[in-house]
Amino acid sequence: MEIDYLATVLLSSLSSAAILLIATIGLAVVFGLMGVINLAHGEFLMIGAYTALTATRMGVPFALSIPIAVAVTMLIGALVEILVINRLYGRIFDTMLATWGISIAFYQLAVLIFGTVTPGIGMPRFNVTIGDYSLAGYPLAMIAVALAMAGFVYLLMTRSVYGMKARAAIQEPEMAQAIGIEAARVNTMTFALGCGLAGFAGAVLLPIVPATPSMGFAFVIKAFLAVVVAGPVTLTGSVLTTLGLGGGASITASFLTSVAGDVFFFLITAALLWLYPLGISARWRRKL
Amino acid sequence: MTLSQRLHDNAGLVFPAVATLAALVSANLIDPYLAYVATSWVIFGLLGLSLDVVWGRGGFLSLAQTAFYGLGGYMGSVAAINMAAVTGNSVIWALPAGMIVGGLVAAALGWIIFYARMGPLQSTILSYTFTLLLWSVSQSFKLDIGAARIGGDNGMSNIPGFVLGFGEKAETLSPAAGLMLVVAISAAVYFLTRQLWRGTFGKVIDCIRLDAQKAELLGYDVRRFQVLGFAYSGAVAGLAGALFGGWANYLNPSIFSVQEALLVPIYVLVGGLGSLAGPFVGALVIGGLSFWLGGGAVGGQTTLILGIVLVLLVLFLKDGILGALDAAWRRFLPDPNDAARSAGAVSIEAEALEAILIEAQNRAGPAKPLKTQDLYKRFGGVVPVNRVSLSFTPGRPFSLIGPNGAGKSSFLKTCIGIYDPQGGAVTIAGEDVTHMPISARVHAGMGVKNQKPQVFADLTVHENLWIAAHSRLKDRAAADAVTGEILSMLGFGAQSAVEAGALSHGQQQWLDIGMVLCLAPRVVLLDEPAAGMTREETGELSRLVRVLARYTTVVVVEHDMEFVRTLEGHVTVLHQGEVFAEGDIETLRADDHVLDIYLGRREHV
Repeated sequence: MEIDYLATVLLSSLSSAAILLIATIGLAVVFGLMGVINLAHGEFLMIGAYTALTATRMGVPFALSIPIAVAVTMLIGALVEILVINRLYGRIFDTMLATWGISIAFYQLAVLIFGTVTPGIGMPRFNVTIGDYSLAGYPLAMIAVALAMAGFVYLLMTRSVYGMKARAAIQEPEMAQAIGIEAARVNTMTFALGCGLAGFAGAVLLPIVPATPSMGFAFVIKAFLAVVVAGPVTLTGSVLTTLGLGGGASITASFLTSVAGDVFFFLITAALLWLYPLGISARWRRKL
Repeated sequence: MTLSQRLHDNAGLVFPAVATLAALVSANLIDPYLAYVATSWVIFGLLGLSLDVVWGRGGFLSLAQTAFYGLGGYMGSVAAINMAAVTGNSVIWALPAGMIVGGLVAAALGWIIFYARMGPLQSTILSYTFTLLLWSVSQSFKLDIGAARIGGDNGMSNIPGFVLGFGEKAETLSPAAGLMLVVAISAAVYFLTRQLWRGTFGKVIDCIRLDAQKAELLGYDVRRFQVLGFAYSGAVAGLAGALFGGWANYLNPSIFSVQEALLVPIYVLVGGLGSLAGPFVGALVIGGLSFWLGGGAVGGQTTLILGIVLVLLVLFLKDGILGALDAAWRRFLPDPNDAARSAGAVSIEAEALEAILIEAQNRAGPAKPLKTQDLYKRFGGVVPVNRVSLSFTPGRPFSLIGPNGAGKSSFLKTCIGIYDPQGGAVTIAGEDVTHMPISARVHAGMGVKNQKPQVFADLTVHENLWIAAHSRLKDRAAADAVTGEILSMLGFGAQSAVEAGALSHGQQQWLDIGMVLCLAPRVVLLDEPAAGMTREETGELSRLVRVLARYTTVVVVEHDMEFVRTLEGHVTVLHQGEVFAEGDIETLRADDHVLDIYLGRREHV
């Protein structure tokens, strides 16, 4: 096997892993800071994608449509948190079921509004050439986007007042209340942030993954697994698991079939959960 | 007992029986098309039942039920297609095949989930992804098995309907007869399930939901019960799938879809979680509603409506229709928990206790000494148990004392098996139990009472004691007898029908101690048993412990110095994970070093 071919496989696998990380971070933030698994995460991704699509069709440049998508998803996320999630605080399975209901309702709304098939938007054209092989540049750029996103969330959590409050509220809820942190407001903010990150993901991935009502399902399976395997230290954990699982599945898929990639992902996840039943980061000392 | 009360207590028997009869009678009276559609509601109810046993009773929200259902459907149909051509009959091939496949796959998945001790979240997500994985795989999965063709997203067609007769002349049942068949099978499964869940098996599953650790401390192999329960539920789901294949005559990958999976918890929640009959009510209501709303509802908006219904259900109607009816009915019945308030102070009769202990000794053998050799447990940089070698023997109580953080509870937890030590050994009467699972240690003779009272809140006082006694005796009559003795010794005779959760904190402590006594342990480990007790209760407890120590080995971890003094036993002082001093309490009280560590004085800290 040629070295060039290997390099392209590695690079494109890295970019799939990066894409998975982009799709996962919002979920990881919500899970890490609220202990809530948002089963509607994929639908927020879809809302982001449709928002960006609609905006570009109305003549807004693609780069500008991304912040619009973030704003829209954050707003919807905040509403969902206030109307549903915060009434279920501490009831993890009920929260999952409720977000599942929301997910299916959003999906069906998208079908009703946009139909099942929508045209994608053209991928910004630039290519990267390795030997005889040429790779589309935009997916590779996602590696940088993923790093930037992870860096942004890390800085937000460690440097901003909101981030400190959010971490305080999850680590010592009673103490946080006692020093005047309003958990409910922090949670609304966190959930909105998580949804905003999903919206960002949907918009920024739009040139690669066309907007369809069911696009959420395709992404979130792997995102859920990555977050759950990551365990309590969600941010660092998720970066590792998306890289390992996503990259591994992508390599498997490029040598075998995409179904084989999915099966690989599932089996490795099951094996990891077997070894680390509470996630790989359950015994780590660090907290973010 | 009034008629209303008797009816309430047997509601799970009477009403489903009436409903079954009504369905069987009306099957021939209603429109054949309605009978055909209603058949699917009953099948969905059966699928809902499979979730109710694992979620409502077992406490694990499995989102893999449609996976077992779909696999059962496919495999049952493969069996039916091939065998119906030969024998005529389809039902006797499809149903067992569906059950076996569903049961085996659930057992395998459950084995991974439960034996790995995954967290609840990990378990649920793994089960969900299992369903989604099947969805994704089945889209492109193509295979011919005999005459059956699994055609990827084209699905599998030509599945024979319900054929009961044999030979070439056997005919597919009419819609009405099909409904009757499905109702009869579902009723059989329901009553079997109800029987299982009223028996020991179901009681243990209930206990695991309420407090898995306590169930294990009573000697039940928790994971085995969980896997068995899950396999049972998978078999029920597989059976439902096989019925569905025969009903629809066609299957495709959408059976594994998210929309399909979503319906199952909705049925359960609408009907009433944990009620077993609820899922049928839920499926009937949801199915009936969409039927009533007309075919239009099945088209575009059904999923939307169902999604919203699920959110509303979770927010506003947690106990479902049956739960709401039950709550309304209970208002007109006397509250069995009233008796909790009339309970007097517990007073231990030494003679009654001794009689119980002698009887236990005759059955379970003599007291067993507990020994630890260089026991070592480390958490990161903290070493709460640092090469502790202690020996506990019957005759008089042993107390472990020490200031906060001395490692008393950690030592006890390592002996019990809650913590796995990195070094050293624990032996019970010479038998090495260092790395044994908790339940195996309990069978070796260990009995444990943790600091917080651990009782099964939804079970009655009688059931709590009974489930403990049954773990040891494995015999209903003998367990009844032991339960009766302990009940009267604790003075809980009038409270036997009270739910344990309605008892006061002190009463729960006594009930917990009673459960430990039911095990007839040969070594008893008590972690701060006097915590939260009044002076009088502490006095009673002290008497109980002293009598107990004459027949078994007793180790007490305690803060309360006065209590330790009244035990008149051997005292070990732990400090920073190590044995600091030993002797009787008076000597230790006079020991300056012991006072130093208790008061935090400089020299020996």
